[in-house]
Amino acid sequence: MRAAVVIAWRILRQRLRDRSAIIFAVVTPLGLALAFAAIIPDFTGSFHTTITVVDNDRGEVAGILVDHVLADLTGPDGILDLTESPDAASARQAVIDGDAGAAILIPAGFTPSVQAGSTAELTILAGGGTVDGEVTRSIVTDFANAIGTIQLMVATVDASGGAADARTVAAAQAATEAASPVSVDDLVAEHRQAGISTFYAAAMAIMFVFFATQYGALAVLAERQEGTLSRLLAAPIPAASILLGGALAALALGLVSMLVLQAATTAIGGADWGPPLPVLVLIVAAVVAAAGISILLAGFARTAEEAGTINAIVALILSAIGGVYIPLSQMPEALSRVAQVTPHAWFLRAIDTLSAPGAGIAQILPSILVLGTMGAVTGAIGLVRAQRVLVAR
Amino acid sequence: MAVAPVLTPARIPDPQHVPAPETALPVLACSGLRKRFGARQAVDDVGFTIAPGETYGLLGPNGAGKTTTISMVCGILARDAGEVRIQGRELTPVTTVVKGAIGYVPQDLAIYPDLSARENLVFFGRLYGMGGGELRRRVDEVLAVIDLAERARERTSNFSGGMKRRLNIGIGLLHRPSLLVLDEPTVGVDPQSRNAILESVEALSAQGMGILYTTHYMEEAERLCDRVGIIDEGKIIAEGTRRELVALVGQLDRVTLAAVGDLAATVRELQQLAGVQSATAHEGGIDILVSEARNQLPALLAAATRDGVTVKSVEVVEPDLEAVFLHLTGKALRD
Repeated sequence: MRAAVVIAWRILRQRLRDRSAIIFAVVTPLGLALAFAAIIPDFTGSFHTTITVVDNDRGEVAGILVDHVLADLTGPDGILDLTESPDAASARQAVIDGDAGAAILIPAGFTPSVQAGSTAELTILAGGGTVDGEVTRSIVTDFANAIGTIQLMVATVDASGGAADARTVAAAQAATEAASPVSVDDLVAEHRQAGISTFYAAAMAIMFVFFATQYGALAVLAERQEGTLSRLLAAPIPAASILLGGALAALALGLVSMLVLQAATTAIGGADWGPPLPVLVLIVAAVVAAAGISILLAGFARTAEEAGTINAIVALILSAIGGVYIPLSQMPEALSRVAQVTPHAWFLRAIDTLSAPGAGIAQILPSILVLGTMGAVTGAIGLVRAQRVLVAR
Repeated sequence: MAVAPVLTPARIPDPQHVPAPETALPVLACSGLRKRFGARQAVDDVGFTIAPGETYGLLGPNGAGKTTTISMVCGILARDAGEVRIQGRELTPVTTVVKGAIGYVPQDLAIYPDLSARENLVFFGRLYGMGGGELRRRVDEVLAVIDLAERARERTSNFSGGMKRRLNIGIGLLHRPSLLVLDEPTVGVDPQSRNAILESVEALSAQGMGILYTTHYMEEAERLCDRVGIIDEGKIIAEGTRRELVALVGQLDRVTLAAVGDLAATVRELQQLAGVQSATAHEGGIDILVSEARNQLPALLAAATRDGVTVKSVEVVEPDLEAVFLHLTGKALRD
C-alpha cells in the first residue's frame, strides 16, 4: 500500500503541474457551469401543475382518486390545481393548449371492474416526458398499486364467501387514508429540481470528472510508453501496487476536480449543492464511479492516447444520455429510462433530491449505492484487465 | 565539449581491479532460463553467475535475447523456466524484497520528464524503501556522483541527452545495489558520453559491485567485461574471458610487416620461430600468423632484420570477439 501511495502521489504532482489537466478538470467545467447558469433561463423552481379529470365512472373508487388522493394535493401548499373536463377530447385540447399539465381519463365501469377484481384502466394524457406528466403518472401509479393490494385482499374475502362490493370500497378508502400512498412531501421531493446554477454546476462537474480520473486511470499505459514501467516492475514492490497507485491517483484527481468545482460554483456561481456531508458522500460516490469507468476503458486500450480518446468519447455520450445537457425531466420517457445506466443520471437526481429541505444521506442512498457499485464493478474489471496487460508485457 | 563521467573522477576509486574471493556468494546465479513469445523461443536454457566485483557481459546482436534475459533476471518478466538467485536468495514473483539488491538501468531512458532530477531520485528511492534523512543524504550523494547537483531542481525535460543518461544510471545506483544491470547503456549516446559511461562502469566494478552488462558493441565487452557470454538466438553459445573465447576458436594473431629487401630469406627465418604458424611474402611486405603476437614481436622483428630487410611499419591484428562471434555463428555482430 505504501508503494501505491508513493506512486499515486507522484502522479498527482505530475498532473497538478500539467496545465492541460487543470484546464480539463477544473477551468473548463467551471467556466461552462457559470456561463450556462448566466445565459439559460431558470426553468426549475417550485413545481405546480394543473390536472384535469374526465370521470366517466362516477363510482366510489373513482371518487376516492378524485376527491381524496388528487384533492389532497391541491390548496395553497399543494402542487396542483384540479379541474374537470366533460370528455376526452376537451381534456386533450386543454393539455395541448397548456391549460392543463396532464389529464386523467377514468373510463365508465372503472369502479365495478375494480370491485370485480378484473383489469381496470386509467389513461393519462400529457406531453411526452414532461414533469407534469411524470408527477401525474406517479400519483396514479401509487394509487393503482394501493388498489392492487386491496383487490388481492378482496379476492380472499370473496373466496370465503364475504360480500365483495362494500368491503372493496371500505378497504380502498381505509388503505388510502391510513397508508397515504401518495403524500405531497414525497412528490415534491421526488420531482424537485435544483436551481439552474446548481444544475449546471453539478452537470459540468460530473461530466468533466471523467477527464480528471482518466489521468490516473491511464497511468500504467503512460508508464509503458515513457519507458518507466520496466523500472517500476524491477523495484521491490508488488506489481499490483502500480495499478493501485494509478487508481488512487484517479480517485484523488477526481475528488480535487469535483470539490474545487463545488466550492467555486457555490462561492461565485450562486449554486446550492445541498447539505455538506451528504454532498461530500455523493461526490465521493460519483468519483468512484467515474474512476472505475475510466480504469475499465484504460484496461482495454493499447496506448495512453487511445485510452484518453475513448474516455472522452464515452464521457460525452454518457453525459448526453445522463441528463447533463438536457435535464432528465425534459427528456422523452424512453431516453429517461436509458439514462439510468449512467452515473450522471444518478448523481444529478441525487443533487435534485438534496435541494429539498431536510433531505440527507438517507434520501440519496440509492444514488450513492448505485454509483459506488458502478465504480467498484467497472474498476475491478479494469484492474484485472490491466493486470493481464502487465503480465503479458 | 568535455563530458563528465557518470561517476566524477574524484569519486572513482582505485581502478586496480580487486578480484573477489572465490568463496564469496555470487551476486547473481541464474540457470535454465527460458522464455517463449508465441512461436519464438526468445531465451533457451540460459545460465551464468556473477561474482562480487565482476563485470559479466552478455554480447550478442539485436534480438539475440539479451534484454529478455536481463528482464527475467530483474524480475520484470515472468520466466517460463529456470532459477534466479540474488546473493543466494531466490527471486520469485512474490519475493519482491530480493529485487532490492538489484539496480536496473534500462536501455531506454526511464525517467519522468516533468519531474526534477531530485524528484526522480526521491521517487525511486521511496520505492526501494528509503526515506527521511537517509534518502535525502543518498540523493545528494548520487546527484554529486552523476554531476547534476547544480541542476537538481530543474525539470529533466530541459536536460541534454547525456545528463538524462547520467540520471538514468544514477537512479539505478541510488539504493546501493549489489548487482547493477545495465541494458545497452550506450546505445544512441555520443562518443564522449559513451566513454564517460564506460569509465563509470569500470569504477563501479572496482568498488566491488557485480555488473551485468549487455551490449552488441564488441569493443565495450572487451574493455569492460571480466567474462563474456556470447548469446545468439536465445542461447549462450560460448562463455569465458576474452582470451579463453579467442582460444576457443583457435584463431591466431596476424602481424603485417611493411618491408623491403630479401623477403624470401626473411620468411624462411620467421618460419623457424616458435609460435609462428605461417609467414608469407607479398609485394611490400610479409604477413605472419602467430600466437601471442605481442610477446613474440621482439623475436619477429629481430628475425626480419637479420638478413638486411628494412621494416617500415608493423601492424598487429589480434582476433577479437567479433571474429569469435563470426566464427561461431557465421554472421557479424551487427547483422
